Amino acid sequence: MNGNIGVYVCECGPNIGEKIDIDKVLEAIASLPHVKVAKRFGLLCSNDGKKYLEDEMRKEELTHVVIAACSPRDHEQTFMTVAERAGLNPYLVQLVNIREQCAWMIPDKEAATEKAIKYIRAGISRVSLHQALTKKELEVCTDVLVIGGGISGIETALSLAGEDRKVFIVEKSEELGGKANKLSRLLPHQGSTLSLIQEKIDTLNKNAHIEVFTGSQVVDARGFLGNFEVVIQKGENAGEQEIKVGAVVVATGFDLFNPEENPAYGLGKVDNVVTSLQLEEMIKTEKVLLKNGKPPRSLALIHCVGRSEKGYCSKTCCLNILKNAHFLKDKIKDVDVTEIYRDLCLPNKADQDYYEEVEKKGVKFLRSNEIVNIKAEGGQISVEYKIDGKSKKISVDMAVLSPAMIPSADSKKIAEMLNLPLDPTGFIKEAHGMLEPIATPIEGVFAAGCSLGPKNIPESIIQAQATAGNIISSLIPGKKIKPEVKVSVVREEFCTGCQTCLSVCFYGAISFDPHKGVSVVNEAICRGCGSCVGSCPSGAIRSKHFTYTQLYREVLEALR
Amino acid sequence: MDKDFTPTIIGFLCNWCSYTGADLAGTARMHIPPSIRIIRVMCSGRIDPLFVLRTYLKGADGVMMMGCHPGDCHYQKGNYSTRRRYVMLDTILKTLGLDEKRIGLWWVSASEAPRYEKVTNEFTESIKKMGPNPVFKEIFI
Repeated sequence: MNGNIGVYVCECGPNIGEKIDIDKVLEAIASLPHVKVAKRFGLLCSNDGKKYLEDEMRKEELTHVVIAACSPRDHEQTFMTVAERAGLNPYLVQLVNIREQCAWMIPDKEAATEKAIKYIRAGISRVSLHQALTKKELEVCTDVLVIGGGISGIETALSLAGEDRKVFIVEKSEELGGKANKLSRLLPHQGSTLSLIQEKIDTLNKNAHIEVFTGSQVVDARGFLGNFEVVIQKGENAGEQEIKVGAVVVATGFDLFNPEENPAYGLGKVDNVVTSLQLEEMIKTEKVLLKNGKPPRSLALIHCVGRSEKGYCSKTCCLNILKNAHFLKDKIKDVDVTEIYRDLCLPNKADQDYYEEVEKKGVKFLRSNEIVNIKAEGGQISVEYKIDGKSKKISVDMAVLSPAMIPSADSKKIAEMLNLPLDPTGFIKEAHGMLEPIATPIEGVFAAGCSLGPKNIPESIIQAQATAGNIISSLIPGKKIKPEVKVSVVREEFCTGCQTCLSVCFYGAISFDPHKGVSVVNEAICRGCGSCVGSCPSGAIRSKHFTYTQLYREVLEALR
Repeated sequence: MDKDFTPTIIGFLCNWCSYTGADLAGTARMHIPPSIRIIRVMCSGRIDPLFVLRTYLKGADGVMMMGCHPGDCHYQKGNYSTRRRYVMLDTILKTLGLDEKRIGLWWVSASEAPRYEKVTNEFTESIKKMGPNPVFKEIFI
């Protein structure tokens, strides 16, 4: 190589200065080939330090820089920015970690110094092979596709359209509103009338920025943040439409667990055993009646149906059942209402009060560990349940089952289309459960509402608004995006076309060019993990900034 | 067994979990043997089995591969590839009559500094017992 390498060792106050003999380090590396300068400085990440580095890079006309300091996870970006200001390509800087990996974990100063020298030598050897990488700029489309026209989808669309973004909503059924349409009413403390949701739908229909496709499905979606190509199948015979969008929001909602899967619940076999949705329908039409046309004198509202089968709490059913118990007590004179629950989930600030209000109305609460059997007995229904190992039973006129929320039937298909991972429950997996709760691992694809897991309406609205905010700040009209540059590239002359890389690329960034018989990496999708490089049997794929030779040189120096 | 023998061990660590875990071990001032030298890669899936073999044949006394726990990979599935490659490497080493115990794969998450301390110390101890890599004496390339 031709060039001048500058090596700067940061004392990091006493952190490195006292644990490593920096003068010895400088002495050992100053005479290495191509090393023009080797110096120490008190604190390189301080403003003085950054200024010093910038001046040094210019003054010494450095072509490559090695900085021996902290972990690249702390300050790699800081020093890359300094290099950029000094007119040096930021990828020609290598940060060597001698703080966490040497100074802090080796109490013996001599051993720590020796290890630091090896690391710095490895860094020098590696940096001389670094190539200048430039970030490309890509135009973005700021339109958004929302899959699913339930509460989450509606709210996402409204929030985005508020910022004049064009939104396409694709809903498989004939009307917007999703599962909320099937409810008789909302919780009293959430606003008691469903007209609130209808108002949202009306606003949405009037908004010129929102285009709604009902009775339609997304049949294909491929691309990356800012550039997705989507094919929508409109209705049964209305043909297909292709659209371009910059982001995709999966708001496919949920379905309900089918209690018929477990014969103990008696649904479909025993008269007057109904699901909570059937009860909602009865309440809506104000006809809560038994099969014989008479109103029930007693009801058992059964919680947690499907909880042990599915392995999670659906967290919204308890309040919904309380709401229905409240209604039944008000509307049917002298009715006896009993709730049979495993756990009561009342997490929000207004929930406890509501529970107490319902309890005051005379609704009885029975705790059970398991529903053993629901069967017809003497003209009534007997509900047999277990509590603390003992079997008990009650007789009622009607039993209402509240099934668990499960992923919607289409979510698996949509996840496969968009390369999204599902968690063990079958819901879409977040990019990070705590830090990125609405992002998916695929950049540009978001999820909101019950597609991520059971949720109530306010929580779905929060996620929808968060998703819209995220999209508005990441896709700005006129502003180009700069995708990752540390990506993989295929050297066509070496590629045998075995397509092993296609199978290991999780992001679908690699495609096969049948004319040339080689694999092609889409640099805008590639995230630079290098799995394809590790899998390529002919060594045809090169990972920029983590090339075979760069890493191998590092290994050789470390082995010295 | 040579008492003064300090092994040279190369560790290929993924950036997101294991390297962060190793950094945390440093921050917590844990004692990690100086014998471990880390090569940082973005994902354990980047570790070409040839790297490991070449590192071994160049005289490393031991090679450690570390990645995120299964299901926690920053790139979703990279560590599953690593796991399969490790099994393959193990077979290759056994077939060639080399000591497969000098190469190992561990899952270390970003918060598992104590685990990092434990596995590096244990591995260093086991390599110390095995003695220096005999590759220069045994293999002629």
